Amino acid sequence: MTPEDRTPDDKFVEISGLTKAYPNPYGDDVVVVSDFNLTIKRGEIVSLIGHSGCGKSTVLTMVAGLNATSGGGIVVDGREVAGPGPDRAVVFQAPCLLPWMTAFGNVLLGVRNVYPHADVEERRDMVEYCLEAVGLADAMHKRPCELSGGMQQRVGVARAIALKPKLLLLDEPFGRLDSLTRMQLQDVVLRTLDEHAITTMIVTHDVDEAVFMCDRVCMMTTGPNARVGRLLDIPFQRPRRRDEVIESPEYFELRAQLLEFLAAQEHATVASRADADDPQQCAAA
Amino acid sequence: MKYKILKAIDVSGLTFLAPIVRLATGEEPDVQIRAIMQMIVVPIVAFAVFVGLWSQLAPRHKTKSGEVPTPAVVWDAAQGIWTFHAREGDKETAYVLAGEQRESALMAAKDRLAEIDPLTELADRQVADAEQEKSAQVAELTAPLRTKLAVVSERYGADQAARKARWMERADRTAVSDTDARLALLGAWNEHDLRTREEREELKNLRAEIDTVGAQAFPALSAAQKAQTAIAEERQFLRKRIEVLTAYNRNEKARAGEQQLADLRSKYLQADGGAAMAGLAANIARTRTRVESIRESNYARPYTLPMQILRSLLCVFVGFLLGSLIAIPIGILCGLSPTFMAAMMPFIALFKPVSPIVWLPIALIVVGGFIPDPDDHWLINGFAGLPLVGWMKINPAFLASAITVALCSMWATMVNTALGVASIDDDHTNVARMLRLSARERLFRIVLPSALPLIFAGLRISLSVGWMVLIAAELLSSSEGIGKYVWDMFNNGASDSFAKMFVVVFVVGSIGLALDRIMIVFQRLVSFDGAPTAI
Repeated sequence: MTPEDRTPDDKFVEISGLTKAYPNPYGDDVVVVSDFNLTIKRGEIVSLIGHSGCGKSTVLTMVAGLNATSGGGIVVDGREVAGPGPDRAVVFQAPCLLPWMTAFGNVLLGVRNVYPHADVEERRDMVEYCLEAVGLADAMHKRPCELSGGMQQRVGVARAIALKPKLLLLDEPFGRLDSLTRMQLQDVVLRTLDEHAITTMIVTHDVDEAVFMCDRVCMMTTGPNARVGRLLDIPFQRPRRRDEVIESPEYFELRAQLLEFLAAQEHATVASRADADDPQQCAAA
Repeated sequence: MKYKILKAIDVSGLTFLAPIVRLATGEEPDVQIRAIMQMIVVPIVAFAVFVGLWSQLAPRHKTKSGEVPTPAVVWDAAQGIWTFHAREGDKETAYVLAGEQRESALMAAKDRLAEIDPLTELADRQVADAEQEKSAQVAELTAPLRTKLAVVSERYGADQAARKARWMERADRTAVSDTDARLALLGAWNEHDLRTREEREELKNLRAEIDTVGAQAFPALSAAQKAQTAIAEERQFLRKRIEVLTAYNRNEKARAGEQQLADLRSKYLQADGGAAMAGLAANIARTRTRVESIRESNYARPYTLPMQILRSLLCVFVGFLLGSLIAIPIGILCGLSPTFMAAMMPFIALFKPVSPIVWLPIALIVVGGFIPDPDDHWLINGFAGLPLVGWMKINPAFLASAITVALCSMWATMVNTALGVASIDDDHTNVARMLRLSARERLFRIVLPSALPLIFAGLRISLSVGWMVLIAAELLSSSEGIGKYVWDMFNNGASDSFAKMFVVVFVVGSIGLALDRIMIVFQRLVSFDGAPTAI
């Protein structure tokens, strides 16, 4: 790629007017996400945060191409997203490993397709490198059922990184882990991301995770018609150290802002729901 | 070590052995003993109760094919089947023995024959004694009955004669015009007739009572007869074996032939004139061919049950393989494409319930069409040339049975494969899409591995269906196998045929069980997540 047609760094990923509506046989379409706009810089780590069911995972799967859009466009590195592909690797909430393959085999499956011209030796080195990077050097040849939940998720991360993606999509990757494992894995992932400078989008509902891992937090309003509510820059330098981040006074400041936004969203939801419910209750009574 | 054994037990599905291993290693003895009681002792006790009831109830039910055999009789029949098989094997080897081996085998057979000759006489005497004893005992038991019979029958004879004489006398006295009196006489005759019939019935019952006593089982006699039969059979076998070792022996026959050939050759050398020489030359050529065919010949061994079992196993395996080769690809296509599934649905729905009894004649005709001359066809010759199975003489009936097995058993595999392929996990599909796998990779790395446990569950059902269908197919097609054995037993009416059919029940059951267990092991080996398997 010549420098001339290189995508400008500050518009590496552009999401504009993104909408998702599901047909409803008994009325108007259910619009989950509407007019979602977000631009991500090259190498930036952005998190989507919001209440459960607000549509943040929907946005992520649409960026991944696993879910069709109902409107708007997504452009990654100058190319419109038209379907899933290894340039936008996903780490799913459940590890989604193939249980009949070892950890090694699971990672290799993707590598084989992304590097069709590499020989067996090179591919093996690449897989081993990725598994070592997530701390699985000793468990490479075990099957998923022999691994703990945290280790399975590490394999998922290794599989995604091995694809050398332009954009890494993490869909609540630590949601199902206990807090100790989660912290450990956050460190592992952050280290790997820093090392490779991969542009990343993380869906989470954990405020601490968002502040600790990301350069920018995108707060989503509660659906239906979810969109970007507020953007918050996290000014910490990378690479980061957990203890330093937690001890800094700004950390609590940022955390408080996030929590405030989320609390406001919750009130708004309760209010709107009460409005919506009222007529029905009357009818029932 | 312990855990390796336990793992092997778990994989093989023989979980009832696990408590024994655990008990042997001293792990929670009371828990293990309770498990052993439940999983091993209770089934054994239940089976023992079944055998006990069977041996009590069987003799009470008599059929026209003889008594329902008791467990002991069935066991004897099983041993008889095995002895027959072993003896035929002996004859087969005896046929090809040569030189010293033949001599020593002949010697042994003669020795044994000399050994049992006196036993024969003894057995005969014992049977005669037992018979005598029985008839004496029967005579004693029936004496009062017979006396009664004699008395009653004499009295009834006299009564009947007297009644008839009285009637004749009255009839003589009745005038032609006396209609009323004549009609009354007719009534009297009917009465007499009725009485006579009643008396006859009574006599018949008395005789039947005497017969029943005579027909009672007499253990001493049947034991003596059994011993006599065993000796007679062995004697017959030894005579036959000696024959096969001498005059019928392949090498002896060939040697006789060679001798004849030498004689003919010297005659030919001495012969005078073209006509005589031509006749001798033709004779020499004929004899040489005969000797050659003798050298290659084998003992014409009849099929014994163990051989038929092996042939049935091969047949079910061929049918199962054929069915699976058809069912799995179609099942995969059905699972992948709802359109193809819709196209196949009418065939599956229509053909699945068809009975093997219908498929078999169709298969026989179709196979017959493809193989008009079974003695000279590449498929038949190919089977005959195979190492372990060549002796089984694969014929069109065998192929038709195998095809019937395939047609009846493949549906379970097809439906399960389609289900397994169609119900692939969404997570796995998403991974495949994200990695943008090619269709081939998607099929072989994602779809098939995830469908394998269900495919094997289907194969397991197919194999047990196939085994059931096979017996019926063999019975109808007269393809040598277990089914044909049952049919032969049903038709031949020998005293132990009924018992031999019971043996077949247990043989078929055990083999079906073994096949099922083998399939469970396979199913467990391909189940990546330790999928639960039924018993």
